[in-house]
Amino acid sequence: MLFNSIEFFIFLPIVTLLFYLLPHRFRWIMLLGASCFFYMWFIPKYILILLVTIVIDYAAGILIERWKDEKTRKKTCLVVSILSTCSVLFIFKYLNFCSANYILLAEHFGWAHPAKALNIILPIGLSFHTFQSLSYVIEVYRGNQRAERHFGYYSLYVMFYPQLVTGPIERPQNLLRQLHEEKTLQYDNIANGLRLILFGLFLKMVVADNLGGYVDKIYADPHAFSSWDILTGMVFYSFQIYGDFFGYSTIALGCALLMGFTITDNFKTPYLSGSIQEFWRRWHISLSTWFRDYLYIPLGGSRVKVPRWAFNTLIVFTVCGIWHGANWTFLVWGAMHGLCLIAERPLRSIHLFDRVENRAGRAVIRLLNIVKTFAVVTVLWSIFRAPSFGALRNLYSALYHNIHLPCSLNVSALPIVAIAVVILVDILIRQSRFDDWCSRRHAVIRWGIYAALIFAIAALSSVEQVPFIYFQF
Amino acid sequence: MKKESKQIIKRLALKFFCVLLLLVAMDVAYYFTLYQKDLDQHCPIKLLSQKALTEQADIVYLAESSNGSHAPYDTSTLPISTLIGEMLPEQQVSNLAQNACHAAIYYDVLNNIPRSAPVKVAVVTVNMRSFGCEWIYSDLEPALQKWQVMMHPGPALYRRLLLGLSDIRPWNAAEREQLILEKLKEQTLTPTATQPYRNASEWDHAFAQAGMLYNGQPATGDTLALACHHIKHFALTLDETNPRIQDFDRIVQLCKKRGFTLVFNILAENTDQIKDWVGPELDQILHRNAEFVIQRYEPQGVIVVNNLDAVRSSSFFEHEFPTEHYDFEGRKAIARNVAKALKDR
Repeated sequence: MLFNSIEFFIFLPIVTLLFYLLPHRFRWIMLLGASCFFYMWFIPKYILILLVTIVIDYAAGILIERWKDEKTRKKTCLVVSILSTCSVLFIFKYLNFCSANYILLAEHFGWAHPAKALNIILPIGLSFHTFQSLSYVIEVYRGNQRAERHFGYYSLYVMFYPQLVTGPIERPQNLLRQLHEEKTLQYDNIANGLRLILFGLFLKMVVADNLGGYVDKIYADPHAFSSWDILTGMVFYSFQIYGDFFGYSTIALGCALLMGFTITDNFKTPYLSGSIQEFWRRWHISLSTWFRDYLYIPLGGSRVKVPRWAFNTLIVFTVCGIWHGANWTFLVWGAMHGLCLIAERPLRSIHLFDRVENRAGRAVIRLLNIVKTFAVVTVLWSIFRAPSFGALRNLYSALYHNIHLPCSLNVSALPIVAIAVVILVDILIRQSRFDDWCSRRHAVIRWGIYAALIFAIAALSSVEQVPFIYFQF
Repeated sequence: MKKESKQIIKRLALKFFCVLLLLVAMDVAYYFTLYQKDLDQHCPIKLLSQKALTEQADIVYLAESSNGSHAPYDTSTLPISTLIGEMLPEQQVSNLAQNACHAAIYYDVLNNIPRSAPVKVAVVTVNMRSFGCEWIYSDLEPALQKWQVMMHPGPALYRRLLLGLSDIRPWNAAEREQLILEKLKEQTLTPTATQPYRNASEWDHAFAQAGMLYNGQPATGDTLALACHHIKHFALTLDETNPRIQDFDRIVQLCKKRGFTLVFNILAENTDQIKDWVGPELDQILHRNAEFVIQRYEPQGVIVVNNLDAVRSSSFFEHEFPTEHYDFEGRKAIARNVAKALKDR
């Protein structure tokens, strides 16, 4: 079920109402049922795949805890669990990619190849709940989390509907614990939850979807547009993906908060970052911290010599890239982010920022850094957005050659205003969150914001509904 | 319930009431600012319903592109609706035609005609092609569905919100091709000695493979494609499960409720060419389906004008795709039959 659909507008109040009406001991059953219903709205049979990963990791958690003093058995159990969960991900997400590449390679070298491309559709959100399952097993192995004995609660931890499809990827210490707690009706939770849902819908339906139409046109046939149009399209994509994913995460946060659950903030004004390193601390936080805790630090993190650190960084970002999708473009996108981060390290040692003493000068440097980071991220998004390297080459060839063409994208005022609003909100809320920032405003301003958001969602949302970009992952 | 919870619910109820007031104010603001622009952009047909009032129409003529299309060699470009008006000078006929429309849209147009409009008769075209999957899943359909959303009853802002929330996406070419391939298999037929196929897909496939027209001439690329199009569009067994029949049923009920005399105008198809190129079996299927429409609706008080064979092949001026685009002679023939039925009623 999509968050921006009529069905969800019916689903959400019913589930929230039932949650508070039912006694605590029955709530998990209702929430699990609702989550299954939510997931099965897409393609019902794929719930079986989810069930497989749930059963594997539920059993693994209990066994790991049972054998906590037997190191070898405990480790074997962890490895088996990780391998089985990852193999589900591999079959559905990467098998086709591998077989297609193998066929290409075999044809190139003239090998006999029995491999065929398989007709497998990627179950929605598989990468997200696979990572959430893995974090549970790893945390139990590390002794940071007790194994969950209640199969229902464990299933709900993986399937909790607000974050089931595109995260945030929750740690068991946060969500599983909260699922056991008895939640009571709190005015602030309802008010803040609704504020977040409103803001999230605005980001998705008004910002992202209105920009999406222009972006699709540019990427479909870049040679039909001028260089200026293409640059505009690239910048629009940066804001489209931000509005789309931040919007989804914000709605997820809001839906959970309506029932009193606090889930991880996935974004903290990422386009106000002064470096790529800072960008990754503010963009898709639940994924970047996942990679930090379960891959980067085990590889040695930054407490190693520079070449090893560079290698670790590159590995982490390449894996992060391929996590997004089974395509070379994603892999290169991830690796490029890794390379940018490595290149930033010597630049950071110049300490230019510290040498300037007056506030104005520091503000200018900060602004230049923000612009530089945004430019780099935008260029890298073009790799992410392009369906293939051929399409990417076309885009850049048109960007280079169409400098003399007149602009023909015909951008209306709406997307420009939408982007301006996003930037303004980011500047205003900075390290805070929209609901928190909003609740601290005067009632007149607050209600003015509500009115503006509701009006924009109702009257200015795009009529072309674009699927959530991160659904494909 | 705890006292605390009761207080929270009271507080929330008050806030929801404020939001409701806000929505009413916003609806008014929207109506006077962006609504007209949205209607023009996303629902041009909504304005058609209004035309019935502004033109003080006695008769409304609902059709698709058949009404206004004209051949390059035509001496007159008058649409069928105007020709009917000329034949019934005492009546005011309003042209409520819009390209690619079908029964579901006609229903919405009729439903949105203001109560104060003096309409007495609704003439609704029945396009035999509109029953087939090629039209039901046409690439123009998503736009029509958007129009339908904007034609829902209710406040203007609510309808615009529904439009934003409706998942109406155009199919891409590959998706649509796949869909049509599947749906053609569901256009089932009763095999006979001369027509052994169980569905439109089998027939289309076999015909394309044979590469020969029914009249014995070898098919060229263009003639073969057009003959196959005839099969895909018309080879079906019409029954009450067809979504367009269900829409026509709704139209009948609506017209009864609104007190309109309803006329179904079965449009002419190029039956000469169908017989000559594909064979008499497809022509018979087409006539059986037209008969189904007559048998279903005449007993319900609908005047059904059967124009299926009213236009000769030479009056169909497009030769790449089956259309109901007639030259002036063809349009006049249709108008004459409809006007006669209206006079005779």
